[in-house]
Amino acid sequence: MSSSPGIWLAAFLTLAIYSFLYKDNPIYRFAESLLIGISVGFLLVVTFDTTILPKALEPVGASLVGTLAAGARSIPGLIWVLIPVALGLLMFARFVKGLAWLSRIALALYIGFGAGASIPANMQSFILKQIEASIGPFLSVANVWEAINDVIIIVGLVSTLFYFYFSKAHSGNFGRMAKLGTYYLMIFFGATFGYTVMARISLLIGRLSFLLRDWLGLMT
Amino acid sequence: MNFWLGIRHLDRRIIFLLMALGVAVPLLLKIGLPVRVTRDVSSVYDYIENLKEADVVLISYDHDTGTLPEMVPMSTAILRHLFLKNLKLVGMALRAEGNAIGRQAFKRVGDEFGKADGTDYVFLGYRPELTATILGLGTSIERVFPKDDRGVPVAEIPLMQNIHNYGDIALVISVSDDDTPVYWINYGNARYQVKVAPAVTAVMATTFFPFLNSSQIVGMIAGLKGAAEYERLIKRQGMASRGMDAQSIAHLVVIGFILAGNLAYFATRKRGM
Repeated sequence: MSSSPGIWLAAFLTLAIYSFLYKDNPIYRFAESLLIGISVGFLLVVTFDTTILPKALEPVGASLVGTLAAGARSIPGLIWVLIPVALGLLMFARFVKGLAWLSRIALALYIGFGAGASIPANMQSFILKQIEASIGPFLSVANVWEAINDVIIIVGLVSTLFYFYFSKAHSGNFGRMAKLGTYYLMIFFGATFGYTVMARISLLIGRLSFLLRDWLGLMT
Repeated sequence: MNFWLGIRHLDRRIIFLLMALGVAVPLLLKIGLPVRVTRDVSSVYDYIENLKEADVVLISYDHDTGTLPEMVPMSTAILRHLFLKNLKLVGMALRAEGNAIGRQAFKRVGDEFGKADGTDYVFLGYRPELTATILGLGTSIERVFPKDDRGVPVAEIPLMQNIHNYGDIALVISVSDDDTPVYWINYGNARYQVKVAPAVTAVMATTFFPFLNSSQIVGMIAGLKGAAEYERLIKRQGMASRGMDAQSIAHLVVIGFILAGNLAYFATRKRGM
């Protein structure tokens, strides 16, 4: 059994969290609150240390010192640094009644950048490349099994698209294709659920390994 | 009480207990069930195998501590392979907690192989805002990360002298517990044609199958199973291989409960209970 206080503390917190499986209790709530507090505190410190300090405070400070030393010639450089910092500060205007509208300027720029960057990239990755991957294999089929796979994929693609077309009643042949699409979707949901179960069990394995190996010393 | 009715109203705490036993017993007994290597994982391994010595691989730690049991065996197996091949590594994080996790992993595995910070590997640190960061790296790594996570200017790090943007990087591996690799595909691969390999939690695996089919990623390592496959490929068994016994038995327990639950449902419904 471990003699390290850190391991004992971690083991206690692990068991405190798992105690919820029996029923809700104050020890579980203490461990949960501790986790949230530490996570948020850690995020704030790391963000300040790796982003706000080197990307905002230090450049502004350096530009101010440069402007004071070199005079008017350095003012354009200072302005370039101040603009993004000022836009970032505008986000906090949301907390001031009457000035909240100012935050929309920064938000508008952020959304504009996001949309501008993501639309062509998403079009390329999610539409063009996927269409190419769905149709391309039919042009160069290597063997029978690959051909069968290609047919399964293209039928799944088309039938699922039928299911998500809502401007026409899902009846007759159209309805049958849409129904086939739902089967494909159910297979997808089943696969996703299976992977989810696998992921959650992996987390349990991790914690039990810690308890059995690092804390109790039962695993070699 | 009728047996099937008893199954239908089984106390959930009994299910939790059986699940815990289903995981703990195989961990203690070391069964050694076989692990088959899939093409998704071997593609990543083969791609790295074919890299030349001193090629640069960027590893981004895009996950939090909540998924460490899945991510650590995966990241450890990949790092061992990369260091074994004498490749140069650049680390970074797009999650705040990933910064500490990544730095620790680089140090721990780097020490195993006698690799030095600054010449064999470098850890640049954390940046928020995925899109701007990934796009920015395509122009200049130094502009996005003027200093590494310890405050050393990138311009003074020997390893970084010839690494300026994606043009100098052979592969990006995103170790992630969410859809961050999609950003790497969107902005790193589609925009700058850098090769991307996601190493993700099992829960995210289905998100990336379409990208495998369209060859937008070189391969994929998913979950503890993917990590165990990778350990097998590098011929160095670790916690993932050990955990796969527990994983398989736990799956059998889940299947058993699903079957029992359904049988109980139909048996009691027929009798109108």
